[in-house]
Amino acid sequence: MLKRLSMLTAAALAAAAMLAAPAAQAQTQDTLAQIKSRGKLIAGVKFDTPPFGFLDDKNQPVGFDLDIVRGIAKHIGVPVEFVKVTSPTRIPLLVSGNVDLSAASMTHTVERDKTIDFSITYYTGAQALIVPKASSIHGLKDLAGKQVSVQQGTTLEKNIAKVAPQAKVVAFKDYNSAWLALVQGRVDALTGSMNILQGFQKDNASFVILPDRFSVEPFGIGVRQGDSGLRDAINFALIDMWKSGEYAELYRKWFHAEPEIPVEVWP
Amino acid sequence: MNYHFDWTPIWAARGLIAEGLAMTVALSAAALVFSTVIGLIVGGAAAAGSRAARALALAFTETMRNIPLLIHMYIWYMALAFLRLPAFSCAVLGLSLYSGAYVAEVVRAGIGAVGRGQMQAALATGLTRFQAMRYIVYPQALRIIAPSLASLFSQLIKDSSLASVIAVAELTYQAGAIEGQTFRTFEVYITISLIYLVLVTAASQLVLLIPGSRNEAAAGRFADA
Amino acid sequence: MPDVILKNLPFLLNGLWLTIDLSMWSIVLGTLLGLVAGTVRFVRVPVLDTVALVYIEFIRGTPLLVVLFITYFAFPALFGYHTTAYRAAISGFVLFIGAYLAEDFRSGLRAVRPGLIQAGLATGLTRWQVLRHIILPQAVRRVLPSLFNQYVRLIKFTSVASVIGVTELTGAGLLVNARDFHPVTILATIAIVYLVLCIALSMAGRALYAHFAVRT
Repeated sequence: MLKRLSMLTAAALAAAAMLAAPAAQAQTQDTLAQIKSRGKLIAGVKFDTPPFGFLDDKNQPVGFDLDIVRGIAKHIGVPVEFVKVTSPTRIPLLVSGNVDLSAASMTHTVERDKTIDFSITYYTGAQALIVPKASSIHGLKDLAGKQVSVQQGTTLEKNIAKVAPQAKVVAFKDYNSAWLALVQGRVDALTGSMNILQGFQKDNASFVILPDRFSVEPFGIGVRQGDSGLRDAINFALIDMWKSGEYAELYRKWFHAEPEIPVEVWP
Repeated sequence: MNYHFDWTPIWAARGLIAEGLAMTVALSAAALVFSTVIGLIVGGAAAAGSRAARALALAFTETMRNIPLLIHMYIWYMALAFLRLPAFSCAVLGLSLYSGAYVAEVVRAGIGAVGRGQMQAALATGLTRFQAMRYIVYPQALRIIAPSLASLFSQLIKDSSLASVIAVAELTYQAGAIEGQTFRTFEVYITISLIYLVLVTAASQLVLLIPGSRNEAAAGRFADA
Repeated sequence: MPDVILKNLPFLLNGLWLTIDLSMWSIVLGTLLGLVAGTVRFVRVPVLDTVALVYIEFIRGTPLLVVLFITYFAFPALFGYHTTAYRAAISGFVLFIGAYLAEDFRSGLRAVRPGLIQAGLATGLTRWQVLRHIILPQAVRRVLPSLFNQYVRLIKFTSVASVIGVTELTGAGLLVNARDFHPVTILATIAIVYLVLCIALSMAGRALYAHFAVRT
């Protein structure tokens, strides 16, 4: 049996090694041309992260990220198809070619930039904590030994481990599960991007967002590594949306505030 | 996009993989024990109990095994939230009820295969009903059903991967974590597939250590549930 | 019916339809794959036999969730093609169920005794007639219960597609729950729907089995 198993393992590894050969062929890099010839933009967005991407009362996906992507698609001149992504899937789906871009409340980090490319920053978030009103946690310093839920595969997960090393981090695949864990009292706090926490808090007055802000999260739209044609198109669209006031309008619509940090505008 | 294989991040994350593996083993072992207990009790009731016991046993197995395991995980995790059970216990509970129903079916069939005559003969020699089950029927049934059990238990190990959705840090969960940090999608999942393959093979070999279970006739009954 | 279910009924029904759609495609294509792989193993076609063996053993040792991760993320990255969660789910299910069905078909084919085939030919039946009246009924009759076991298992397993983002019944329920927050009501409703689907399919399988049993 052991022999059979080792034979199988060897065969599987050999197959994996052989599979590497066709992968070496270069895939066509010009996603922008593909989008135009296909006649639609395929965008990865979240369905579980209000107000960036979530389901409305009619179970239709809506949100800031979706509206931004619609603006970009309008610039390119094609309709959009939205694909649901979560934090752990937004980069793999992009890299594997299943979506053209990922607009999924994603922080632009140096590490991610080694794998994919990013547009200019279109939103700047700050990480915060949300706890039940009655909680004894009033800030980062109270987190020692407490359970904090967060999403898997995010900068938030790494940040919280850094700023509160004594806390026990419980990572979920999506925001919903992390949020439900807090609501059900399985964890003591949830950490996430400020505006996302506000989105959750809106309908749940028994939770409060703590004043501590730890980390700056510049959100960028992800494209495949080296996909500069599409990245330019996205950047130009974002700049135009800022100049025309469309961006500010969307910002007011979803965050009920004036944009604090302007989108960088190229002369 | 050229895919270049790079296994170094996997090796670098071996600590996480080992932790995940330990959790998978712990989860599977706990669920294995509980599902066997559930299977023996419910299966015994279904084969040899009163009419009411048989009906109850049937209702239990049909309900538990026809609800997807993923739903089991979410239900026990969310519905029992007020108990504040750790996710691990919820996963063990869901996995045990689901697999226990399958084990019960196998046990029922095994007892049926031992035959009424054996039971009656045992009772005639003055053994109590419990003694007859314990010493005559169960040992024979166990031998008959060992291959099916082996298959069920290897199934259980694979099914334990669904505990990752309720944040139990087992192998598949850690794979997701490593994938999220390194983006070595293919390498990560191939690695954990091979680990599961080894685990599953080892587990099914262990069950076949039951004396007398390794004969051809029994192997012929090897059925996937 | 509880409010939260009524209010989201069209969305949940959409999910149910997708569950049925996923199951149907996976059952049809998976059965074909299983039949081919099982026959290859039974006849011992050189080379292909080893390929089928590696495929079957590999899949049978791998959790479904991992298979779906492979078809959704790993294969497209490796081979440079585009897929959707829906298609990746179906390919994953087909690969998964095909491996189990292949083993069932192989044991079904093995169960037909060569003596019967020879006897059939000796009585003057053509090869086609032997296949039609002797081999197939025997093999199908023998395999049917395990086939339907696998199909029922598959229906339950389609729920795992929600993890890679397919909004089938489970995915739809979880999304609704995330907004309206009635986990017990929603999950219990979904559980009952699966229960009904699975029991109905089991009963259909048993009826079909009885039908074949009478004819042979």
